[in-house]
Amino acid sequence: MILLSHLQKVFDGKSRVRALDDVNLHIRKGEMVSLVGPSGSGKSTLLNLIGTLDKPTGGEITLDGQKLSGLTDDQLTQVRRDKIGFIFQFFNLLPSLSCEENVSLPLHLRGWSRKQAHDRAIELLDLVGLGKRVEHLPDELSGGERQRVAIARALSVYPPVLLADEPTGNLDTTTGADILGLVRDVHERLGATVLLVTHDRSVAESCPRTITLRDGRVVDDAVRTVSR
Amino acid sequence: MMLLRLITWPYVRKHMLRCLLTTAGIVLGVAVFVGMHTANQSVLYAFNQTVDKIAGSTQLQVTAGETGFPEEVLERVQSQPDVEVAVPVIEASVQTGLQGQGNLLVLGVDMTGDRSLRDYDLDKADDAMIDDPLVFLAQPDSIILSEQFCQRAGLQMNGKLTMQTIAGPKQFTIRGVMKSGGLASAFGGNLAVMDIYAAQMVFGRGRQFDRVDIALRRGADVNAARSRLQTLLGPGLQVDPPSSRGQQFEAMAQIYSMSANITSLFALFIGLFLIYNTFSIAVTQRRSEIGILRALGATQGQIKRLFLIESGIAGLFGSLLGLGLGVLIARGIAGYISSYLGEIYGVAQRAEEVSADPRLLGIALFLGVATSLIAGWIPARSAARVDPVKALQKGRAQVMSEGENRVRKIAALVMLVLGIACVFAGHKPFFFYSGYMLSVLAVLLLTPALCIWLSRLLRPLMKWMRPVEGALAADSLLQAPRRTSGTVAALALSVALVIGLGGIAKSSFEMIREWMDTALNPDLFVTSSESITQRSFRFPFEFGDELRQVEGIEELQAVRTARIVYQGTPVMVVSTNVERIASRVNMKVIEGDRETMYRQVSRGEGVVISDNFALLRRVDTGDMLELLSPTGLLRTKVVGVVSDFSDQQGTIMMDRELYRRYWKDDTVNVFRAYLKPGASQSDVRQRLLDRFGAKTRLFVLTNGEIRAFILKITEQWFGLTYVQIFVAVLVAILGIVNTLTVSIADRKRELGVLQAVGALRNQVRHTIWMEALAIGALGLMIGFALGAVHLYYILEITKRDIAGMRLEYRYPIGIALTLLPVMLGAALLSGAGPAESAVRGSLVEALEYE
Repeated sequence: MILLSHLQKVFDGKSRVRALDDVNLHIRKGEMVSLVGPSGSGKSTLLNLIGTLDKPTGGEITLDGQKLSGLTDDQLTQVRRDKIGFIFQFFNLLPSLSCEENVSLPLHLRGWSRKQAHDRAIELLDLVGLGKRVEHLPDELSGGERQRVAIARALSVYPPVLLADEPTGNLDTTTGADILGLVRDVHERLGATVLLVTHDRSVAESCPRTITLRDGRVVDDAVRTVSR
Repeated sequence: MMLLRLITWPYVRKHMLRCLLTTAGIVLGVAVFVGMHTANQSVLYAFNQTVDKIAGSTQLQVTAGETGFPEEVLERVQSQPDVEVAVPVIEASVQTGLQGQGNLLVLGVDMTGDRSLRDYDLDKADDAMIDDPLVFLAQPDSIILSEQFCQRAGLQMNGKLTMQTIAGPKQFTIRGVMKSGGLASAFGGNLAVMDIYAAQMVFGRGRQFDRVDIALRRGADVNAARSRLQTLLGPGLQVDPPSSRGQQFEAMAQIYSMSANITSLFALFIGLFLIYNTFSIAVTQRRSEIGILRALGATQGQIKRLFLIESGIAGLFGSLLGLGLGVLIARGIAGYISSYLGEIYGVAQRAEEVSADPRLLGIALFLGVATSLIAGWIPARSAARVDPVKALQKGRAQVMSEGENRVRKIAALVMLVLGIACVFAGHKPFFFYSGYMLSVLAVLLLTPALCIWLSRLLRPLMKWMRPVEGALAADSLLQAPRRTSGTVAALALSVALVIGLGGIAKSSFEMIREWMDTALNPDLFVTSSESITQRSFRFPFEFGDELRQVEGIEELQAVRTARIVYQGTPVMVVSTNVERIASRVNMKVIEGDRETMYRQVSRGEGVVISDNFALLRRVDTGDMLELLSPTGLLRTKVVGVVSDFSDQQGTIMMDRELYRRYWKDDTVNVFRAYLKPGASQSDVRQRLLDRFGAKTRLFVLTNGEIRAFILKITEQWFGLTYVQIFVAVLVAILGIVNTLTVSIADRKRELGVLQAVGALRNQVRHTIWMEALAIGALGLMIGFALGAVHLYYILEITKRDIAGMRLEYRYPIGIALTLLPVMLGAALLSGAGPAESAVRGSLVEALEYE
């Protein structure tokens, strides 16, 4: 599903920073993988590259059989639109839009009709347990609820890949556990490939596979059996 | 200071373009203020310089407006024991026919006595001629020119110069060249001196002088001598020091000052909103920085001072730039103003040097900085009130509180009620100007609420146009009324300014056209100058008898127009056979009975005044006017008021006989000719030129040419208005660019999210474009409404304080319609840059942006 070969990312500023250095990975379809490592190890950079938010300095990313190098910005957006769902640590919901409008936003961007988008948004909000709060604004929700809306938005087109950057980082332990449960549930029910960046060891260990990065390199790739 | 260095400077460096845009309103406001006033002052200064240089050692001058006075006055002046020297002068602005050299100011002087008052500083002169003035006088074609003019025009000693005279073009011989400097540098060097009796002849002045220049005996008290001379000569002649001519000129130039003040005030007001807007957004954007400072121990006062100092510095920087730009603007328009005033008032001056008055610069600097500080005050207060705990929580945005919004709405409604009350409270300036200010402030305070209401109204339309982008753009406006309303207010002010200026122009043009249709209906005008405003040359009254003989003329009306001084201001006297004129023209009567008033004027029992004279001088029908004439005081009754646009300072229409009796002036400027039915305009004109063209200076202008000239003059007057409109539109555009730039920066993360969830670049672009269009539309809607109010007040100000013109309220729909594409186009263009920066930036950075 996701194939990374000799991936490199260098940031040129006052000093040159090699954020990723010769990363090679293969994440299969339907896998749920956690990505861990200390701050500055390159986790978020890797997630951004896979999510087509950023472009690598070297190497190649293949997503669902499609090579990403050489694609224009709009082509990358098309890939992101059709194949990737994002969940951010700070939710990144648009504060002026209701829950339903936030979830249906990506669908409108794809040109869906109003009714289709609305129906799908309601369906997804039901899925994340917010069926009764569709008209609420993000400011009127708790942190956990906001993240649920963000997950519903990420799932709006049922993308094959779900990328989550510290999805529980801004939540208390109980709410974090709920959200993680929801992500796992979505993964199981929809069969999506999930790549989850986290600092939290327990969150990482709840995934069947954990990749550890240090100084921009993969230093560990562990597979485990996770009990339900 | 440390906070400024550590906190402000890095922010300014990072947002340099935004900071520059922020100060743009102040720059333009200060620039217009300084530019217009400096230009005015420079023209005035040039005029005073010309007066000073021409005056030489003259201490007092005897004048009678433009009409001149009989020669015998000179003897009466000379008979006074205080008077050492008294010399007569005739002044005329004359065309030379030399391309690109402009008009020459010709001084007709008595060479035998004049050199004791003025130093001609002759460089090259035919000594035999000048050393013996009698010889110079014996040759009436003698002329002295300045060295500067000779060099420019390639003329030499004993060379010939052709000048227009009452008898057509005539050659003069250069018998003296004045060295540059002193008298020779008056009127930019375009100065000629000739003998006074020759001047009387060539300019058709008969036995009249324009003025008498006086030097007093050593030790004589100027004020006492002045008062004795005034008593001797009576009230009809004015005895003043030369500098008083500048005061009269100042009154003429005042119209420009007033109009410049209104535009400057608006521009500064617009600047105020731009600064307020940017600082409000800056406070929102820098809330985490403020939170950190507060957490580290900064007091509320320190935070407030920090932001106030920032706005003060922005104001100072903008004002300094504005001062520089203002001087440049002054350079550009000083020539324009002087040529316009020259054309209208026949006043000879040239603004060669433009230098700003330090006091004016000081006022402008103060206005700019004060505006900026006022604009920065609310954001500074908001910054001081930032809750450090909330500010340090990532992702929490501040929105305008309901409480603040409610206070604004209440304040606006109170102001609106007070503003309306002022309209009914009477015509006292205090109530009038308070009503004006309150109405404008009320609309501006209501702008955030209006933005929300109107954005809600626009949302369905925008959504219909582009379902996603339209809705997002509308939501962005609804979400941040504070961010949007500052620019919308600035834009609305610009639109209102344009509507006001455009409304005045439209009303003036239409009413002048209507007046021309009724008042200027002769087929031909026979004049002694190319332009009807020049009165240097005049015809003898008897010339009319010869003109009447020309085949095709049915009726000829002789008109003498002259400027006299009324209560310190030059006004126009129109003397003619009023009853005959009234039988042909149908001027709109404002006060008085049309049937009887013209009859009374014809019998010399009163005068009819123009509407603007009545309004500016606060005179009504039935009032007595006291007019100063060379033979004494004329006390006459106002028997009617008509709508007349002949002169900006007002006209007094009187019977020709009455004028001749008091002013001892039997000359004519214009003959109005009505042709017999079937007579061809061009044939009669040709006949007139064939018969009189060779022996007398004569211009025959058709009705169409006169109308075109008046429209040109009006157009010229509004030329500066168009400059002001341009400034208003420019400020508006800068306002939109400013808002969108800060708005995009403010929404960097939001736009990043949009792209992260799948928005294509074009979709983001369209969202920003639509937001820009919506801001433009909001500004236009509120601006059109505010413009309607502004136009009402500006017309009232024009009527009561500027020109005394009773202009009808005519909303400039054409200009409003033109503004639609201009402003929306400008908005769209303004959105282009920010839209590109939004889609070109790093998505990762945008998502991490706080």
